[in-house]
Amino acid sequence: MSVRTKFYLDKQNAKFLGVCSGLADYTGIEAIWLRVGMVFLAFATSGTSVFIYFLIAWLAPNKPAGLYQGPEEEKFWQGVRSNPSRSTAQVRSTFRDIDRRLADIEMYYTSRNTRLADEIDSLR
Amino acid sequence: MEEVFLPITIVGILFVGLPWVIMHYITRWKTAATITGEDEKLLDELYYTARQLEERLLTVERIIAADNPDFRPLSASRQEQSPFDISRRN
Repeated sequence: MSVRTKFYLDKQNAKFLGVCSGLADYTGIEAIWLRVGMVFLAFATSGTSVFIYFLIAWLAPNKPAGLYQGPEEEKFWQGVRSNPSRSTAQVRSTFRDIDRRLADIEMYYTSRNTRLADEIDSLR
Repeated sequence: MEEVFLPITIVGILFVGLPWVIMHYITRWKTAATITGEDEKLLDELYYTARQLEERLLTVERIIAADNPDFRPLSASRQEQSPFDISRRN
């Protein structure tokens, strides 16, 4: 169903089981800070977070290969996961930009045709 | 007196304050904006369409600019994205 907003283990960039790299992929935070935080939490909570880590590693599915076509798309979906309305606005602004550029081309052609028509008129 | 109050405060913090904070953030998280599977599919398609359209439009603009030297596309005034990607380096 929601293939792109799910949490996955990222085995490709994994250091141990891929939970921290998966979280980094999910949130867009650098993986190193998550790992440092994980180690810190392991000491601070005296083992509970280690248990949670293994639980996540056991329950979460692996990231399917070829989920995104390129880093740009990956970044876009990271944005969707954290703030969907902003990403939607981003897509809308892209469409508006395309519309503006198309209107520019249309304007160019229509105005050039009138100029051509004027020249033909002057030749008569 | 202190022997009585200290356990009460500790128990209060542990069994009332902590769950309160956790529940508060859970409800905050639940009410935050999320998208359903259908929304996601729609957004995926829209994003894909937008990128396709942009690429096609770039091609068209390039062709027009080659045919008519006085035509200057709007996108030409903007910063061109570099094809160099630092994450793809060996």
